[in-house]
Amino acid sequence: MTALEIEREEESEAIKLRSAPDGRLIAYTERGPVPVRVRQCFPWSEPHRHLSLRDTEEREVVLVEDPTALGAASREALERALAEAGFVLEVTRVVSIEEEVEIRQWTVETRHGPRSFQTHLDDWPRLLPSGGLLIRDVAGDLYRLMVADLDKKSKDLLWAFVD
Amino acid sequence: MNLEIISRYIHQPAQLPTELRARIELSWDAEPIQLYALADLDDALVLGETWMALGNRFVAVARQATTGAWEIETIDRGRIRAVQLSPGLSANILLLIGEPNEPPLATVRYTQRQRGAFENIRFVLDESLAGRVVQPAPEEADRVYADAVARPVRDAQALVAGLESAVILRLLSYLTPYRRQVAVGLGAAAIVTLASLVPPYLAGFLLDRVVRPAQAGALAHGEAARLAWIAVGAMAALYVVRQAAAHVRLRLMSVLGEWVARDLRSELYAHIQRLSLSFFSRKKTGSLITRVTADTDRLWEFIAFGVVDVSLSVVMLLGLGAVLLVLDWRLGLVMTLPVPLFCWLIYWHGESLNARFIRAWRKWSRLTDVLGDTIPGIRVVKAFNQETREIARFVDRNDAVTDEFNSIHRMWTTFWPMLMFAVHTTTVLVWVFAVPRLLGVGHPLSAGVFVSFLLYTTMFVAPIEVIGQMVRTVNRATSSAHRVFEVLDSEPEVKDVPDSVRLSPVRGRVEFENVTFAYDGVRQILRGVSFAVQPGELIGLVGTSGGGKSTVVSLVARFYDATGGAVRIDGVDVRTLDTGHYREQIGIVLQDPYLFHGTVLENIRYGLPSASLGAVVAAAKAANAHDFICRLGQGYDTVVGERGHTLSGGERQRISIARAILHNPRILILDEATSSVDTETERQIQEALERLIAGRTVFAIAHRLSTLRRASRLFVIEKGRLAESGTHRELLGKPNGIYKRLYELQLQLQ
Repeated sequence: MTALEIEREEESEAIKLRSAPDGRLIAYTERGPVPVRVRQCFPWSEPHRHLSLRDTEEREVVLVEDPTALGAASREALERALAEAGFVLEVTRVVSIEEEVEIRQWTVETRHGPRSFQTHLDDWPRLLPSGGLLIRDVAGDLYRLMVADLDKKSKDLLWAFVD
Repeated sequence: MNLEIISRYIHQPAQLPTELRARIELSWDAEPIQLYALADLDDALVLGETWMALGNRFVAVARQATTGAWEIETIDRGRIRAVQLSPGLSANILLLIGEPNEPPLATVRYTQRQRGAFENIRFVLDESLAGRVVQPAPEEADRVYADAVARPVRDAQALVAGLESAVILRLLSYLTPYRRQVAVGLGAAAIVTLASLVPPYLAGFLLDRVVRPAQAGALAHGEAARLAWIAVGAMAALYVVRQAAAHVRLRLMSVLGEWVARDLRSELYAHIQRLSLSFFSRKKTGSLITRVTADTDRLWEFIAFGVVDVSLSVVMLLGLGAVLLVLDWRLGLVMTLPVPLFCWLIYWHGESLNARFIRAWRKWSRLTDVLGDTIPGIRVVKAFNQETREIARFVDRNDAVTDEFNSIHRMWTTFWPMLMFAVHTTTVLVWVFAVPRLLGVGHPLSAGVFVSFLLYTTMFVAPIEVIGQMVRTVNRATSSAHRVFEVLDSEPEVKDVPDSVRLSPVRGRVEFENVTFAYDGVRQILRGVSFAVQPGELIGLVGTSGGGKSTVVSLVARFYDATGGAVRIDGVDVRTLDTGHYREQIGIVLQDPYLFHGTVLENIRYGLPSASLGAVVAAAKAANAHDFICRLGQGYDTVVGERGHTLSGGERQRISIARAILHNPRILILDEATSSVDTETERQIQEALERLIAGRTVFAIAHRLSTLRRASRLFVIEKGRLAESGTHRELLGKPNGIYKRLYELQLQLQ
């Protein structure tokens, strides 16, 4: 895309979003630039659409129904912010699952580094609409497991938790 | 305990590295760190180690360079204009904002696990920006950090799972008061075991020493008959002794198990009653009920049967092995060598079943979810005509559960016959090795020894089974014991001091002296609240939800102790009072009054069981409850169901007011006592309350401000502070006053 095309696109944008140098997402509105955060309306059913951009007081500044309708620069800024807002720990290997009194102790490797976490014994992994499992630990952190992509040992350990 | 949780489960630094702390404090001119937190995500959202530390004048952010060295960035707190948190699904971003149009002074990213520790820092900075000074004690920094990080695990599991052996020993210590019975029970069990070993030996003896010599003519017929009858008599006597011992053992140990379970239940319940309210906010009611009932029952099973069965099975197996090896070591080896393999197979089978049970349990909980959703929500199901869909959902999940349990049944029904086949194969092997020797080939073997051997082999199965399942038995028992000990080891947060003071009677003067309160020790719910209430005053507590009104009355009732300042009753610090005696003089009427399962009479007399029936009627009349109680089928003897669900909300409230009137408290707390009832009921309750409050110190919380017009004074509690105080008229006279605004808003709504 040429500089002229970008300029034209910016002029025609109904919603203009940019990344500030510090990484914050800025929405340009009638009241001027507003730092916003992204909230996914459907983090699992439709993670990349229906994105609510909210100010620091948690008021919705704009609802982006379809990011593909945004200009390239806005889309890029939004995607960067979305990566942080929608971040969950992606499990790549399950090392062990042990039951203790009241809690289940998980030791895993994630795309982001090794991690141990705990779940309540009666908290079961949730099957996501897009496939894979979602586990919520006692602290509230979320872990996504694409079971089909895991090694055999991980699958064996997960057998009791997968249909 | 927090440090133990972090090192055992969370695997992150249990405190700020010493060298880093020293470097930060050095860069702050030796000013100590007050709070700190670990930001466990870097800018690329990779798990890492970045620390944020807070001091009186500075904030430091320390990042680890690729070389491992710490790069410390110090920010003057005076430059911070705002603190912004961007919460995500699992990644939170905290920004320290400086002047507009300049980049944030600091940005850190962390998972939810670190949220508590960062919330503490954020709270102090926010307070500081609002012009309020909060000074966390530097010597508490490590404890506050560890507490915040370990809290989610601690709330889920208040007792770190200890060594199984230590738990079992602690459990067995409950047998100490019943030493004599334990000794007799174990002795009886030992007799049963030893007596079981004798008959096969006698059978072999009879064959080798009596029958065969008699048949061969080597023993006179008369002598052979005498010896045979002695052996038969001994066998009969042995069985009598064995069964008598079995009876003693079963009776004693099952009774003993009940006694221990009873002791545990009583101790547990008494301890639960002493625990502070904060404990109950962490634990589900169902979970506590299960501990008092199902867990203690499981411990009975373990003590009554598990302890003896497991120990005697070990003795039995060792005894059998020894006897077989002594009788004939060659055949003994054939029989005993596979035993460890059998035990391991049973253990392996148990572990395999465990995974299937988890799967079945998961599916079972999906089935009960449907029931839990649709039975209480049946009106919604019917209103949306979703019965067919719900039936299909239930059938689907029911089928899944059935499939899972059938898979378990397939597994164990295959395993046990296979195992028995293996055991019988061992027996066949004994035959294979024994038959040639019986026929004179190789080392000689007598028929009697062989018969003894065969009889002993049948005795192998039961102890192997018990030992194989020992791990599961012990696991189940330790798990239940842990859940029971977890409660027993929880300390009440409100405790009486030695030589506590009894105020007889309480006059009702209540003073708050610069009271601060924080549930977690840092984030303050009350901030420097001071007031003095004279005996007989009616104080209305008003303000927005979450402002701290309920915390004020909780401190008056000493459900919690203030974290700063003092609450004084008649000039005496409430922390030095005898709590039980003090609470006898406090009455509480809640928004949702709680009635116990029992009669109306029992509920009214709950705080004063010795009250006369006349006093009960008088209290009910004062509470405007007498008339409707008399209309009930059995009057005051009518049983009200669980939580009084057979009565309307207004009726329950008036019974709870009668209960409070009879209790005759010196200090009365009314927590939204007239909300959620209709106008006529409210009028009746108001009348009752007016009789109740006469001559007492009263704290009344109400959102409907019109109900507080008669208050001596109104306290407006906002964001943990006493924002305004005065009479209704005085507060309405304050231009831009909070009370004035709230009152006018309510008038508009009416």
